[in-house]
Amino acid sequence: MEIKRLANAALFKNTEIKSSPRILVELIIIAVVFILLSFFLGKPRMTDFMIFGIAVLSYDLIYGYMGHLTIGHMLYFGTGTYSATLFMKLVSPNPLLGIIAGILAGALLAAIVGSLVVRTKGATFALVNMAFNYVGFFLVAYAWADVTGGEDGMASFTGTVGPVNLQQHPLWFYFVLSCLLLSFFLLKKITASPFGVMVKAIKHNETRIKFLGYNVHYYKLVTFVIASALAAFAGTLTTINYGYIAPDYLSPLRNEELIFANLIGGAGNIYGALLGGTLYMVMKDYLSIYVARWELVLGILLVVISLKFRTGLVGFLKKHIQLRSGSGR
Amino acid sequence: MSQIITTVGLSKHFGSLKAVNNVNIAIKEGSINGVIGPNGSGKTTLFNLLSGYFLPTEGTIYFQGEDITHLTPQNRVVKGIGRSFQLVSIFPQLKVYENMVLSVIRFLKRYKTGSRFYLSRIDANKEILNDCMQCLGMVGLEDKAQLRSGELSYGDQRLLEIALTVALKPRLLLLDEPLAGLGDVEISFMLELLQRIKKDFTMVIVEHKITKIEDFIDELFVMSQGFVICQGKPSEVLYTPEVRKCYWGEVD
Ligand SMILES: Nc1ncnc2c1ncn2[C@@H]1O[C@H](COP(=O)(O)OP(=O)(O)OP(=O)(O)O)[C@@H](O)[C@H]1O
Ligand SMILES: [Mg+2]
Repeated sequence: MEIKRLANAALFKNTEIKSSPRILVELIIIAVVFILLSFFLGKPRMTDFMIFGIAVLSYDLIYGYMGHLTIGHMLYFGTGTYSATLFMKLVSPNPLLGIIAGILAGALLAAIVGSLVVRTKGATFALVNMAFNYVGFFLVAYAWADVTGGEDGMASFTGTVGPVNLQQHPLWFYFVLSCLLLSFFLLKKITASPFGVMVKAIKHNETRIKFLGYNVHYYKLVTFVIASALAAFAGTLTTINYGYIAPDYLSPLRNEELIFANLIGGAGNIYGALLGGTLYMVMKDYLSIYVARWELVLGILLVVISLKFRTGLVGFLKKHIQLRSGSGR
Repeated sequence: MSQIITTVGLSKHFGSLKAVNNVNIAIKEGSINGVIGPNGSGKTTLFNLLSGYFLPTEGTIYFQGEDITHLTPQNRVVKGIGRSFQLVSIFPQLKVYENMVLSVIRFLKRYKTGSRFYLSRIDANKEILNDCMQCLGMVGLEDKAQLRSGELSYGDQRLLEIALTVALKPRLLLLDEPLAGLGDVEISFMLELLQRIKKDFTMVIVEHKITKIEDFIDELFVMSQGFVICQGKPSEVLYTPEVRKCYWGEVD
């Protein structure tokens, strides 16, 4: 009885502490911010940023939340890109169907590759994923050149959805914004759920989870598939966005962009992923105009972040806001 | 009383080291058992074998009459074997109540269905929170539910460690040195806790501080160099000359 009472008291406290803004409010805020930004940076550029943002979100689930660094995430991004392109070319030009086909292809490939790689962790996980990514890159860039256009890539054709031309601006901008909000919503949901606890627990102590009666590999696989499907989603948008695809979208070398963006914003935090993704793209786009070797600046920035701001920008801001309001804990 | 777990010729070798050596024990359902022995005598390794952390080099383990020698750890938990760790093994970056979530929902059928597990918000889920708080209440940590568990004192982390396992409501509870590293006040709290929950479990407790738990132990096993060298009522076992020699002679 006493325990019951204390539990209720603590629950009460819990809801007090946890009065985080409702998810709808957050979605509206994000939408407003991106729309405002589009007035300064232009809608096409913001569209690029948002697609990248979805990829960064997907990477954050594996790396930030589950604590598994991979260098093979572009495999799923590229699978989405190529599958959607080929689907629209060979099966139906409807972009919505193309997107779904690309997501399914990414998820399927992730389920197959994942069932092998989730048995590993640490450096092995990162490198085995990279190896798979190189296999995929080789197939697309060389072995299957007849279908994929090889190193030169190929033009992609996007049809209409009924009478609606999705590629038309500003519709395309708002469509991609909705995709970003949807991805954010999904990640927000699953990271706040018991599954989210599982994913974060895997980051810190896989062994203990086994002794709580769970098949850890299964949940790693589920996480891997969700993150990969989301990356494939971003990939499908890329082909519609540019109308042209190349093996570069599948290159393991581009994985570093995802890692950088995650580190800048703060890994393991969906706001951090969005912020980091946007900042990274802004730097990439603008710094390169003013600084010939902008990668050098990026490199120095990363050293500073990894040494001084381990929790990224969002972590840094959070800490300072909490200190200010005196509820720092 | 029937046996809940039995081992037959159980051995674990690490290279030439025989950490557990031909151990044959039978634990009675509902009993409280102690395991003592000098450092490195194989107590933790025995737990690792029973809980599935390692596969034995030789021998067989029966749980409720069924051969579980090759079962994975998670399947042994499903059968009803729960263990705590000598070196506290929690999720330090998670809040204290979040630590409890996986334990309390493990055997709730409702959470087998996808949407509840994947999409429901735990910080607004009265059902889960209530269960978590109740388990935390049991070990006196409910006030610290919102702290990051890595920030807890060592003693509190140990209480959380035990709560993680107890929340699974295992039939057989294996506790590896629950008193290690605790101060006097914490020790008496832990003992009181064990006393309170012991009627619900069959327990095996590895503990150096034997005098503290002597009173509520039904059966005591003494290990030395991988062998179980003696077993029986604590009062009798502790006065066996060979036990006194190997145990009190080498430790403390
Ligand atoms: N994974 C391992 N690999 C190699 N040797 C091990 C391993 N685990 C345990 N050992 C060795 O097996 C022997 C028994 O170790 P164990 O941890 O079971 O002892 P213990 O009785 O629990 O000791 P303590 O009282 O210090 O906890 C020790 O010599 C130890 O070094
Ligand atoms: Mg030990």
